[in-house]
Amino acid sequence: MRVLKALAWSVVALAALAVGYVVFFNGIEAALRWYFTVTNFTASKVPNFAHNLRLGAEVTIKLTVISSITGLILGLFAGIARLSKNPLFRWPAQFYVWVIRGTPLLVQILFAYNALPFLLEPLWKYLQPLGVPPIQDVLTPYWAAFIALSVNVGAYNAEVIRAGIQAIAKGQWEAAMSLGMRPFQVMRYVIVPQAIKIVVPPLVNNVIALLKDSSLASVITLLELVHQGQRMISITFRPVEVYIAVAAIYLILTTVLTFFTDWLEREMAKRGAAT
Amino acid sequence: MAIIEMRDVNKWFGSLHVLKDINLDVQKGEVVVVIGPSGSGKSTLIRTINALEPIQKGKIVVDGIDISNPRNIDAVRKEVGMVFQSFNLFPHMTVLENITLAPRIVRKWPREKAEQIAMELLERVDIADQAEKYPAQLSGGQQQRVAIARALAMQPKIMLFDEPTSALDPEMVGEVLDAMKELARSGMTMLVVTHEMGFAREVADRVIFMDMGEIIEEGEPDQVFSNPQHERTQAFLARILH
Repeated sequence: MRVLKALAWSVVALAALAVGYVVFFNGIEAALRWYFTVTNFTASKVPNFAHNLRLGAEVTIKLTVISSITGLILGLFAGIARLSKNPLFRWPAQFYVWVIRGTPLLVQILFAYNALPFLLEPLWKYLQPLGVPPIQDVLTPYWAAFIALSVNVGAYNAEVIRAGIQAIAKGQWEAAMSLGMRPFQVMRYVIVPQAIKIVVPPLVNNVIALLKDSSLASVITLLELVHQGQRMISITFRPVEVYIAVAAIYLILTTVLTFFTDWLEREMAKRGAAT
Repeated sequence: MAIIEMRDVNKWFGSLHVLKDINLDVQKGEVVVVIGPSGSGKSTLIRTINALEPIQKGKIVVDGIDISNPRNIDAVRKEVGMVFQSFNLFPHMTVLENITLAPRIVRKWPREKAEQIAMELLERVDIADQAEKYPAQLSGGQQQRVAIARALAMQPKIMLFDEPTSALDPEMVGEVLDAMKELARSGMTMLVVTHEMGFAREVADRVIFMDMGEIIEEGEPDQVFSNPQHERTQAFLARILH
C-alpha cells in the first residue's frame, strides 16, 4: 500500500512538473514576443526570435538540472571520501577538489570540449567496434558542457557536504556505533539525514551559481540562452534590448529556483523538530 | 568466568599515558561504580570495553569475545549497551524511532517486534506517553531515560554508563538514577562512571577508585567510602563528600 501510494504521488508530481514546465516556457515565449513587439523589432521576425531565446533558456535549464543532479552525486562521494581514514579514498578526492576549485570553469569547459576527445581517443578504438558512435558525436557541445559543469559543481558540493558531515557532533557517531551499527549504516541513518538540513541551503546556492555559470558554455558553441542572444544580436545589431531580455530570463529562472528552495527548506524544518 | 576481563590494558593519547596496566574482572550481574577525579581515565576505561577507544597494549575479553581482534568489534557492541553524559539521541527521529533503529537494522527485527519491545522499555523507564515526540521536546531527564531504553532495546548483556547524570539539572537526577537502580535490581551487569555517591552506596557491588590512569583502590562501597586505604582515595573522598 505504502509503495503504491508513493508511486501514485510521484506520478502526479512528475505530471504536474511536466505541465508546469511547458506552461512556464510558453509564458516566457509569449512575454518575449510582446517585449520584442513593443521594442519595435521587425514584426515578421519576432515569433522566430522569441522562440529561439525560449529554446536557449530550455537548454540552460536542462543543462543545469542534469549537471546539478550528477554534481550532487559526485559531491556526495567526494565529500565522504575526503573524510575517509583510508588515503586511497581521501587523496583522490582531495586532488579532485583541489584541481577543480583551483582552475577556471571556462578552462574546464574548453578542456572538456577540445581536449577530452583527444584523451579519450585510445579508449574509443576499443569502444567503436562495439557500436559506440564516434567520439565527436558523443562529446557534442551539450555533453561536453554537461561533463565540465557536473565535475565543477561536484567539487564545490564536496566541500559543502564535508563541512555538513563534520558539523554533526561526534557523539552521534559514538551512540550509533555503540548500538552496533556499521559505519555505512551510521552514515545512512544518522549522519546524512541530519547533515542534509545543514547542507541544503549552500548546495542550492551552488545550483544557482551553476545556472548562471552555464552561460560560459556559449564559448563552445552550445546554443544556450547567451549564445542564442548573441546570434540574435548579430542579425539585429540591437544588444541593449537583447541582453536585457537575456538577463531578465536568467533573473526569472534564479528567482523561481530560490522560491522552490525556500519552500524545500520550510518543509524540511517542519519535519523533524530540531537539530 | 568473568563477563568482562581486562588484562594489563594500556592506552596512550599521543604521549599521554591514560590507562596504565589496568586489570579488572567484572562478574555477570555485578554493578561496578568507577569514581575518581576528572582526567583520571575512568571514562576512557569504560569506553575501551565497547571499543569506542582502541587500546595499544593488553587484552579485553567481553563475554568470551576478544575485542583486540577488529573483526569482533561488531559482535561485542551488540552485547554492550552504552549511555552517554550528553544523551546523544538522534535529533531527527522520534523517541520510538530512536529506540527501534538499531534493533531493526542491526538485529534485523521486523518493525512490529521492534516497536513492541520499544514500548515495553519506555513503559519500564516510565515515559511511554512520549513515544512520538522528538528528543528536543523532552527534558534532560526524559532524554536520558530514552537513551537508556535505546541501549536496552538491543538486549545487551552489559550496560556502560558514562556520567549519565552529570549533564542534568539537579531535579532530574533522581528519575534517571531510579531507572538505573531498577535495571541493577533486574540483574544487569553494569559499569557506571558517576559522581553520585548515594547511588554507589545503594546499588554498587564494588567501587573502583581511579587516579592518573591507574586503579588505586577497589572494594565494597562501605569499605571504600568509610574506610579508604589509600591516601589519594582519602583525599578525593574528602573533597567530594561534603
